[in-house]
Amino acid sequence: MSAADPSTAENELFLFAEQDPNSAEYWSDEHFGSAFKSECPPDKKVKVENLFSFKRQRGDLLFSGLLLVLAMFFLAFFWTETGWEKRKLPDEFGTYLLHQLGMIDVEGRVTRFGRILKQSWIAPMLCLLVFVPAAAWNMRNSVVAHHWRKRFHLPTKLNYELEQWARALEFVAYFIAYTLIVPILGYLVSTVLFGQFLTWRLGYRTKKWIGISLLSSTAIVLVFRTLLQIKTPVSIWLYDQLPVAIKSFMLSYF
Amino acid sequence: MEALIIGISNLLEINVLIAILIGSVGGLIIGAVPGIGPAIAIAILLPATVFLDDLVSLVLLLGVYGSSMYGGAIPAILINTPGTPVNALTTYDGYAMTRRGEAARGLSLAYSASFFGGCFSILAALTALFAFGPYLKDLGALFGQRDILMAAVLGGVLLIAAHRQTMGLAALLFAFGFMIALVGRQSTRQIDRYTFDIEYLFSGFNLIVVIVGIFAISQSLILMIGKDSDPPEARLKGGVLRGFVELGRNRLTALFSACYGTIMGIIPGVGEFVAQFFSYSTARALSKEPAKFGHGSPEGLIASETANNAVPAAAMIPLLALGVPGEALTAMMMVVFFDAGIKPGPDIFENNPDFLFSLFFALLVINVLVLATLLFSTRHIAKMIYIPNCFLGTLIMMLSFVGVFSIRNSLADCLFAALFGYIGFIMRRLDWPLVPVVLGLVLGSIILERLTAGAGQIRELSDLFNRPVSGTLAVAIVCILAFIVWTSFRQKKLEY
Repeated sequence: MSAADPSTAENELFLFAEQDPNSAEYWSDEHFGSAFKSECPPDKKVKVENLFSFKRQRGDLLFSGLLLVLAMFFLAFFWTETGWEKRKLPDEFGTYLLHQLGMIDVEGRVTRFGRILKQSWIAPMLCLLVFVPAAAWNMRNSVVAHHWRKRFHLPTKLNYELEQWARALEFVAYFIAYTLIVPILGYLVSTVLFGQFLTWRLGYRTKKWIGISLLSSTAIVLVFRTLLQIKTPVSIWLYDQLPVAIKSFMLSYF
Repeated sequence: MEALIIGISNLLEINVLIAILIGSVGGLIIGAVPGIGPAIAIAILLPATVFLDDLVSLVLLLGVYGSSMYGGAIPAILINTPGTPVNALTTYDGYAMTRRGEAARGLSLAYSASFFGGCFSILAALTALFAFGPYLKDLGALFGQRDILMAAVLGGVLLIAAHRQTMGLAALLFAFGFMIALVGRQSTRQIDRYTFDIEYLFSGFNLIVVIVGIFAISQSLILMIGKDSDPPEARLKGGVLRGFVELGRNRLTALFSACYGTIMGIIPGVGEFVAQFFSYSTARALSKEPAKFGHGSPEGLIASETANNAVPAAAMIPLLALGVPGEALTAMMMVVFFDAGIKPGPDIFENNPDFLFSLFFALLVINVLVLATLLFSTRHIAKMIYIPNCFLGTLIMMLSFVGVFSIRNSLADCLFAALFGYIGFIMRRLDWPLVPVVLGLVLGSIILERLTAGAGQIRELSDLFNRPVSGTLAVAIVCILAFIVWTSFRQKKLEY
């Protein structure tokens, strides 16, 4: 296109700039400098409204489903696991409730409402009254969000998310292994080994990081076992090999 | 006056002073490291507090709570990554200043605004204690079991209402937390609730186990499966003292932001985010240069940082006055009260007024100490930003283990902490809020306790509401529920 042609440009709408793209100013460095420069990288920019924004992610549907199953599980066991079988309710409970709500008068002795509130099934019932409908409502919202994602061709497949969940499970397994190994090897040895292993597993394999890991594991033991005197299993099999004086010191502080 | 003197003298004990120092400097460092927030630090520290004196424990946790937001401003301003979630808005104007080469100015403003906000709310609380102290003593008589029960329910309702776009989800997670609190043997009648004859479940889930799992272990998993970020090098030139002068020029912004922070902190379930939102929006509306907001406006930075730091002291008020925590951090502090056998609530004004003065003066000392530390060591603390995330994850995991194990030397506790950690990890991945679970757990425990204890005084249903306090709270609950229903319908109408 040749240079400016104001007669045609005047009636056009421009998406990104107020200025006429046919004008010389539009193509100047000065204009581009101000139009496209951002103070913060766009992906890092935080808006006030973002503080409250919530978007359902992939995997939301699955977890919402699991929570709904959990809610139904608690509901199903309400009758046997909350003391419902041993409930003590007044005869003609409907009439009693209407009386409590002030709708009718009842003659004679009336059971104290507090006697009902004190029973063990009341709190689970109140909780389930919120838990089950909220789980169902959340599931509904999750299904709606899933359909929206499909409609706008956003990724809906679970593979990536499940992969992340499985990766985390690997570290949960290490944590459980650490938990089980502490009573066998003792706290000091297990912690140092666990620290070294995790550091290595996460890719910090230089001497510097091995040293830092060793120092930090030992520091944790020093703070909790030596300073705060928290009782943890000791590495007795190791301390037995030490001279008596050092052994008693290690037993007390490590 | 006697309580004031005893309160201050309690602070002069060496254990308490050390706790203040460790808490405030530790909180500062924790805040400066993106990836560890005060909630995680407090969750890890909670088990250790079992072995400490109650005032020492609370002061330690308060130190972390009160100082972490100061530290969180450092990475927010220098590398555009908030150190704690509540510093997100600080990046908006703070990082823009850094890009202009004004990092020192941004930090200076953030410190002075934080200091002003923190001191404002503490002084407001102390003034209220002085002014209403004689009357507060009689408050205990006004608050019975039913009133505290209603206050706990109100806390839950407010929490749900505060999750503006996710009220349904917040209600679900609150109920989930409540359900966890229900598991165990009912003490009065020896009836088991959801124990399935598993011996471990008879005593119920330990609050600390769940909190460490949901907050600390989940975050360690997030950090370990994530990638290490490579933050840009932050250059800091110039002094950090000029902020107070600039704060003086924007005193109106600072003042109403501090008021917002204090008021929002008092309301259970609301907290820092809403306080920031209101103060930032108001500052923008009243500013002569609203276009500069988001592009390095000093007023924007002052508004967000002042409001943030005004919340911690104010958030202690509902915890101490009603025994109802308003958010996750005060809920965790509630656990310390449980362990110490102290019941926060109106009685505390009569029985332990010196304890209240100790806590608020400790907060004041923490603010001064943190400011002094920052003025002389910002450059060193800023280096914490560069600790790799994955490595931090390993440290959090090791600390979580010893934290949970130390409660009662139970390996089963550690296994359940891992389970809750994994649940928390999935919730974090899905952007689900964690706070309703913890508040459901803590408020659920309070509701259970007060329901059982107060049942003897309830002859009829109306007895739940016919006391002045419980009646007022019940009306408030109904109004908030009506507001929730109204906003839900309104949102629906706008959607279509």
